[in-house]
Amino acid sequence: MSTANFTVPTVTHAASNAGDLVEKVTVQNLDFYYGDHRALKDINVSLYHGKVTAFIGPSGCGKSTLLRVLNRMYDLYPHQRATGHVRLDNDDILAPSQDLNLLRAKVGMVFQKPTPFPMTIYENIAFGIRLYEKLPKSELDDRVKHALARAALWDEVKDKLGASGLSLSGGQQQRLCIARTVAVRPEVILFDEPCSALDPISTAKIEELIDELKEDYTIAIVTHNMQQAARVSDFTAFMYLGEMVEYGDTTRMFTTPTDRRTQDYITGRFG
Amino acid sequence: MVDVAFQSGSAVSVAEQVDRAKVLQKLRLGDAAFRHLTRAAAVTVLVILSGIIFSLVYGAWPALQKFGFNFLIEESWNPVTEHFGAIAPIYGTIVTSLIAMLIAVPVGLFIALFLTELCPLWLRRPVGIAIELLAGIPSIIYGIWGLFVFAPFLQQHVQPFLIAAFGNVPVLSTLFEGPPYGIGILTAGLILAIMVLPFITSISRDVFEAVPPVLKEAAYGLGCTTWEVARYVVLPFTRVGVIGGVMLALGRALGETMAVTFVIGNAHRISGSILAPGTTISATIANEFTEAVGDLYTSSLIALGLILFVITFIVLAFARLMLMRLNARLGT
Repeated sequence: MSTANFTVPTVTHAASNAGDLVEKVTVQNLDFYYGDHRALKDINVSLYHGKVTAFIGPSGCGKSTLLRVLNRMYDLYPHQRATGHVRLDNDDILAPSQDLNLLRAKVGMVFQKPTPFPMTIYENIAFGIRLYEKLPKSELDDRVKHALARAALWDEVKDKLGASGLSLSGGQQQRLCIARTVAVRPEVILFDEPCSALDPISTAKIEELIDELKEDYTIAIVTHNMQQAARVSDFTAFMYLGEMVEYGDTTRMFTTPTDRRTQDYITGRFG
Repeated sequence: MVDVAFQSGSAVSVAEQVDRAKVLQKLRLGDAAFRHLTRAAAVTVLVILSGIIFSLVYGAWPALQKFGFNFLIEESWNPVTEHFGAIAPIYGTIVTSLIAMLIAVPVGLFIALFLTELCPLWLRRPVGIAIELLAGIPSIIYGIWGLFVFAPFLQQHVQPFLIAAFGNVPVLSTLFEGPPYGIGILTAGLILAIMVLPFITSISRDVFEAVPPVLKEAAYGLGCTTWEVARYVVLPFTRVGVIGGVMLALGRALGETMAVTFVIGNAHRISGSILAPGTTISATIANEFTEAVGDLYTSSLIALGLILFVITFIVLAFARLMLMRLNARLGT
């Protein structure tokens, strides 16, 4: 298979005013290695403020790996390294001098499986806020309420904030994790298959939520669900075997993909 | 669905069905045998446990009858007048174990956290193996090392310093009072701490390793530092396992005999100072069983054993209660 089939982002966004696109995250010539294995090959992609970018592709294509580069989660593990450039605004986040705690405050992440911390619902949210700000109780309460409201969870949990986060249903737990991420006021939110462990109703709620959140944040979502990518994203990137095969406006990607592999994947011929 | 199943069923010949029934019959027999075997194994535990309790109570009966409740609160332990009280060994057992836990729990947890969260990979195995080796050292070796190496070292270097340093501090001056014997309650507690450290470390390391990586990533993803992840995510998530490990260690500390007997001084008295010699229940039994002449003496020693059994039981029950309350508070 050919490798040079990368199409330059075709930012022909008809729906919204295309002139306003602000590049928030820019990935340039990114390579990623698990030991000697090269998992990402020369990736170039941009995430725009106020837009949702979906990453699709078969398992093992590197979508999640790419997401984990954006908040340098891979740093937790030895023998994993990235080369190239990833800029958040104008900082190169791959620079060794990058403060990881600050980076992760700016780039929040929601995982495939809900990961509430072993503490109360209130504490799950307040915990993250306290890492960065020392607030009086009343203000903290407001922030917690606001975050829960933002994640469309407030009405369901307002009477049991003292209950364990683990006592919630799967869908509620995932929204709790979104609230927790939102509470620390990030600029970018990464969703790593956020709905793959959820039922259709919870999935619909999360998708609705992503749609509401996108006006204030830059959002990247990895998904195996093509319909979901089509529903929630403004831009779609198709990855295959560690390469960025095609990237562009979601509508165009799903109607007239230029690469044969993209077409095969979105029509369900492989993957 | 049903039709398909029915058709495929009728396709099997009668002969095959008979064979199948035979095989099933055999399997059922095997199943029953297995069930009874495992049940018997489980019941054996109960039989042994109740047998131990019975023989302890039976053996202790003469002493308990003679001294009654006073056995628990009297300090004198006089084989000549045949007057026995258990409070000194009870006190020694509890205080040495307390000292051991005060030291071993934080140190053990820190080692486990270091090994799982911070340690470079190449160092992880050697340290892990060293800890397991520490657990494998027979207690007699700890005892002999404690008596000939550790106690003289404490006597010459550590205890004089403690006496001098805390001599004028109100409560601590009582705690570190008297001449530096080398052997005594503190030394026994320190040896016990070293002995139970591997239990706490290896159990907590195992449970820390069982924390789902994604949960830790979620905490790191919020911008937590390693300490914050350990304190607010790893420890709460693993509390049941950690408390289990601590209780196992406490059980060992309460019952440890050989090493303690070497270094505790074997004096049947309660002293305010932890530098003074004392005794524990197990050390008393080990020391005096061979010389226990007379039924009352033997019976008193068995009564001590019964008390140790009860203390261990209370500790375990307390641990359960604590876990239940913790879980109730966290609603899990």
